[in-house]
Amino acid sequence: MSFSSAVVFLWLASSRNRLRLQLQRLRRPRYLVGALVGLGYIYSIFLRRLEFGGALSSVPPGVRLFAELSLVLSALVTVFSAWALGPDRPSLTFTETEVVQLFPAPVTRSSLLHYKLARGILGAAVGALFASLFVGRLVSPAPGLFFLGAFLSLGTLYLHATAASFMRTRWAEAWGTRGLVARWAVLGCVLAAVGLAAYAALEAHPFPRTLSIPGVLRNWVQAVVASPGLSAVLWPARLLVAPALAQDSSAFLSAVPPVLGLALAHYVWVRLAEVPFEESAVTQAETRTRERSQRASGGVAKGRALSSRKAPFRLSARGRPEVALIWKNLITRRRMAGGVASVLASLLLGCAIVAMMGESRFFTDTRRVLGPLGVSLAAMMAVVGPSVFRMDLRMDLPKLDLLRALPLAGWQVVGAELTASALMVGLLQLGLLAVGLLSGPGAEDPWLLTWWWPGGVALAVLLPSVSLAGLFVQNAAVVLFPAWVPADRTGSARGIEALGQRLLTLMGSLVVSLVGLLRAALAGAVVGFPLWSSLDVWALPLGAAAASAVLAGEVVLGVLLLGRAFEHLDVSEDRPE
Amino acid sequence: MDFVLRVAGLEKRYGAVNAVQGLTFAVAPGEVLGLVGPNGAGKTSTLRCLAGILPPTSGRVVVAGYDLAKDAVDAKRELAFLPDEPRFFDYLTVWEHLNFTARLYGVEDWEERGKALLEEMELTGKEKALPGELSRGMKQKLSIACGFLHSPKLILLDEPLTGLDPIGIRRMKASLRRRAEEGAALVLSSHLLPLVEELCHRLLVIAGGRAMALGSLEAIRSRLSGPEGESASLEDLFVRITSGAGTEKPPP
Repeated sequence: MSFSSAVVFLWLASSRNRLRLQLQRLRRPRYLVGALVGLGYIYSIFLRRLEFGGALSSVPPGVRLFAELSLVLSALVTVFSAWALGPDRPSLTFTETEVVQLFPAPVTRSSLLHYKLARGILGAAVGALFASLFVGRLVSPAPGLFFLGAFLSLGTLYLHATAASFMRTRWAEAWGTRGLVARWAVLGCVLAAVGLAAYAALEAHPFPRTLSIPGVLRNWVQAVVASPGLSAVLWPARLLVAPALAQDSSAFLSAVPPVLGLALAHYVWVRLAEVPFEESAVTQAETRTRERSQRASGGVAKGRALSSRKAPFRLSARGRPEVALIWKNLITRRRMAGGVASVLASLLLGCAIVAMMGESRFFTDTRRVLGPLGVSLAAMMAVVGPSVFRMDLRMDLPKLDLLRALPLAGWQVVGAELTASALMVGLLQLGLLAVGLLSGPGAEDPWLLTWWWPGGVALAVLLPSVSLAGLFVQNAAVVLFPAWVPADRTGSARGIEALGQRLLTLMGSLVVSLVGLLRAALAGAVVGFPLWSSLDVWALPLGAAAASAVLAGEVVLGVLLLGRAFEHLDVSEDRPE
Repeated sequence: MDFVLRVAGLEKRYGAVNAVQGLTFAVAPGEVLGLVGPNGAGKTSTLRCLAGILPPTSGRVVVAGYDLAKDAVDAKRELAFLPDEPRFFDYLTVWEHLNFTARLYGVEDWEERGKALLEEMELTGKEKALPGELSRGMKQKLSIACGFLHSPKLILLDEPLTGLDPIGIRRMKASLRRRAEEGAALVLSSHLLPLVEELCHRLLVIAGGRAMALGSLEAIRSRLSGPEGESASLEDLFVRITSGAGTEKPPP
């Protein structure tokens, strides 16, 4: 009896069965086509750029400096996160299957720890492989050495994060809040020291006044990071990434021993710091299973808590029954509030970028920025909105049995499901447009002033319809091709064939949207152009109204047809294997 | 008497919550102990502590003479834990799960035993099936087959009949009875009071993490005072005992 041999059996048998299952799936045309498209995509995006014939002779110094700093900073951020972020509990995560199968088995805690460490080290190897594929060739003339170096670095960082979580658990159990205060006091001192070192470096090497001379920025960065204080801060991380960035075998061999020593020291540290992790593992496994099951049934996403906001309006027991579905989805929207939060976060990020770019007008003349920003965001929502606001069939299709049992025709269900998302996106667009239009165009350009209001009104008429059409296409894809576009994302297939399927679905949605928009554009042109001579730019809103009417008509017709498809929908054949 | 399971002063705390408080009991070979209590009474926490999944906050658990805290591996080799929701590795077949379990527990004649168990659980012909291809009831049967493979001396069962059809339930009850007759000790947690009444020799009623009653149904019945005490069903007794603990109010 040996736990290690049982684990090797588990991994080998699982990998073999998984591969066999994926190959069996290729017998079905949709998976075969998906696999071909996925392979083509991967080849065209990544593999085609690799030169298998020979290594790059030399790496440009700017690229190398950027890569080195990126890797060094990533390592430092990982170390800092391990000590600063997340709860004070062991970072080892087990699945519920592992808990049920391995925890009651005759296995020591130490064996379970090694099992997880082995998984983590394997993960580091996979991460290093991807890093070698995507960036290795750009920064190192020897991809093999880059892989080995990256594997060592990632593995050491994994051990560090594990040891740090053990130490934090120990301190929290031993000292409680005092431990937390002491940890943050030390972290604060470290951050202050880093800040002082950075300040001293920038004082000694101010930012160059002009960047037009080639290499001046690189020289400045090199001088800053070579300053004594920052150099000391970056030294451990530089040591860690040195093997990955080694340019030849001799450099690699001289860079490896310290990192191997560091990895070994970390392993010993993990063993010495080991704490009981069973309770935390069981709790986390249960939480993840619960979240997965909630997502599978169309529930809230991971880590998102539902607020207890009130219903948007009082639902009377009398009236059209499909309004109840709209009401239910609007409540969901209000209580999840994720889409609006994402939009607000994007807005804040945009403001921060503007501020960082030194756009002082943002603060002195807000209206000049708000106008174009509002209009741009409203237009952007026509593309982004249908993907962000998903309280429709994409959320509810996992509850197909429940929807089918309702005393509603298919078109009523489809229409009602679409309405809540469409209302939310449309209202958001109209709000953004109102803010934008009332704030003005932000410039005194006469052409812009002439077009501002007619264009704005045209957008107000057209954009909600475009969003509605986008929502319809995405919902139609879920109903018509449930195997290609699974509504519940938890059970969706993984692998190259699934990647190809998603690409094909995306392309299909784009083509359908463009065909629908083309007819609308034609209708807009037919109405707008004859009126141009008499109404001038004000013909634009009328043309937009015609286009909008065509889009709305297409959606209404589509809802009727989709309602029939919904009534005959059978997802049982397409459930994930 | 040589007990297979001895529990003394078992406590389990989650932060400030006392899930299990001072449980003390023992189970003899061939005995079936029913663990009953309302939702949130601490049944699953108790079973997890007995199975060595969760370390107890305090107290002692001895399985077949091995202290679960000191000789965890030896103790676990003598027990099987069958959870209410069977969990399997996605890409191991039915037969490979038995193989994996055999390797973990060191069962050398596992193929022979495995075939017999699959036959008993009506899973013959499903050897190459992956867990995703099995129904809920079949998964439950596979979980039981894996649990019985190493002939454990102590079997801990959490809602063992969930998902089984009537024939499966009948076979399962017979199978559990047979294990008990062969000398295994069983701790069975279930909300199905008729099942508990039918299979269990003794009952441990817990509420709020505490033992409210321990003994045979007759002993508990006779201990209860009141005019209906002697003819009370297990359901009546359960409601009477647990509603007193304030963990679950009886319906109005």
